[in-house]
Amino acid sequence: MKALRPLLALGLALCLTTPATAQPALPMPPPPAPVAPALGAPVAARPPLVAELSQPRVEITTGFSGTDVLVFGATERLLGPSGDDVLVVVQSSPEPMVVRRKTRVLGFWINGASARFRQVPGFYLVAGTRSLRTMLPPEERQAKRLGLDNLPLQASGTQDPAFREALLRLKQDARLWYEDEALMQVSGARLFRARIPLPATTDTGDYQVSVLLVRDGRVVARQELVFRVVRVGAAARIADVATEQPVLYGLICVLLAAFAGWLGSVLFRRG
Amino acid sequence: MLVYLPIAEMSVDALLLLGIGFGIGWLSGLFGVGGGFLLTPILILIGIPAPVAVACGANQTLGASVSGLLAQWRRGNVDVRMGLVLLAGGFSGSALGVQLFDWMRHLGQFDLAVSILYIVVLGSVGLLMVRESVRAIIRRRRQVGPARLHPHFWMHGLPLKLRFRKSRLYISVIPPLLVGFGIGALSATMGVGGGFMLVPAMIYLLGMPTAVVIGTSLFQVVFVSANVTLLLAAQTGSVDIVLTLLLLLGGVAGAQFGAAMGTRLRGEETRALLGLLVLAVAASLLWGLVTTPASQFAIGPIPT
Repeated sequence: MKALRPLLALGLALCLTTPATAQPALPMPPPPAPVAPALGAPVAARPPLVAELSQPRVEITTGFSGTDVLVFGATERLLGPSGDDVLVVVQSSPEPMVVRRKTRVLGFWINGASARFRQVPGFYLVAGTRSLRTMLPPEERQAKRLGLDNLPLQASGTQDPAFREALLRLKQDARLWYEDEALMQVSGARLFRARIPLPATTDTGDYQVSVLLVRDGRVVARQELVFRVVRVGAAARIADVATEQPVLYGLICVLLAAFAGWLGSVLFRRG
Repeated sequence: MLVYLPIAEMSVDALLLLGIGFGIGWLSGLFGVGGGFLLTPILILIGIPAPVAVACGANQTLGASVSGLLAQWRRGNVDVRMGLVLLAGGFSGSALGVQLFDWMRHLGQFDLAVSILYIVVLGSVGLLMVRESVRAIIRRRRQVGPARLHPHFWMHGLPLKLRFRKSRLYISVIPPLLVGFGIGALSATMGVGGGFMLVPAMIYLLGMPTAVVIGTSLFQVVFVSANVTLLLAAQTGSVDIVLTLLLLLGGVAGAQFGAAMGTRLRGEETRALLGLLVLAVAASLLWGLVTTPASQFAIGPIPT
């Protein structure tokens, strides 16, 4: 959190300096809506949406127990019920997953039918200034694949929709998927801040962050950001050696365990 | 204090792991077993993925058994020739076991297979131990002298006989090879050293004197678990060294307390308690398989 403060302050300062030019236009929408910066040059000076991440890199160290990444920024027009809305979508790289249904055989619960999903984002988060449902019409959500209901999850194997629902529920229970407007905070109707709570079990790799500006049920501007989750230090080295040189890693494990056992017998030898 | 486990890819409370290690070490010091049969189910219970739990069980057993072996070696309680014969069986058994491990992981039935193996093996071993020790306690109460030296049966007619000086035996190498093979296979699939099965097998099946049984079984357990660790690390990459070392740290301390307490208990009573403990683990695993799960579905990565 400490590292965030200067960045937040910078964001705040940015936001506080711009209103001098933007405020007069607030009561009524300005006639040439600055949606597409195609017309005049002065429009480019006032981007409708500015967003930034609190950190470009999340480091998984040996003491990692999850962390928060913040997406913060400001909009040109006011945010709120009668104004614009901001939507933050975070997604980590997709991976194949299998969902298994437990079935009862002879009184025992065993893994039965399974559905394999080829593209499952390890982490997925949607946070808006309002709930996604009230912000965008269903067609728009579907076309842009926004929200948990519109994730492109194609299963091979069983086509039972129960498997998809189970995947959605279990991922949310594991705090890996979110669709929650409570993660988004707005201050001063202009400054927004979305919290991305990454659990300890989160994947390593690149996380795509899309910040969308929504007006009248349409996405009018977007900004793409990215942050990377990496293992560092001992955790990284151990995982690297284990995957790249498994035999060497096995030998090290054997020797370390034997050494620990020997050390124990020396330290605690009685008499 | 949470610590990130790089292979299990999750954070676990380090104090919890130290505590589990201490408890297992205490029991293994008390009963003279590696404790892998308790460790693996407990690790699965706290949410460690089953393949990682099995691999770490083997790795931790290795460390825990080394200190025991060194102590026994100093006292000259290791029958190296018997140990090597058992080991020859053990190595081939664990090579097969690791293949089984991989095959079950691909089938998606790994957790089930591990649970069922545990229930069957622990259930039968536990029952045998309790029965035997209760009989021994009753025999002692009735003041009957100890039973005669090992009885002779069909096993003693097998060819390839070899003299095992320390064990005072002249028997065929086939039974120890088979015993070693079976325990090697189980130790690769269950993450146990196999001490709790090996000790009764050596006493009742091979007829070895109790004095050299513990040392010789530790000899076999150390090498088999080292081999299993190596094979699992190479083939499935599921050994988590951070997890193992935390468990060992608690374990070596706990073992000393257990060993000190163990000297105050009688042999039969210790065996009866160990048998009950083994049965309790089997019963709780059985309960877990029979009760309706909280969620009917489970998700997991597709094994490559």
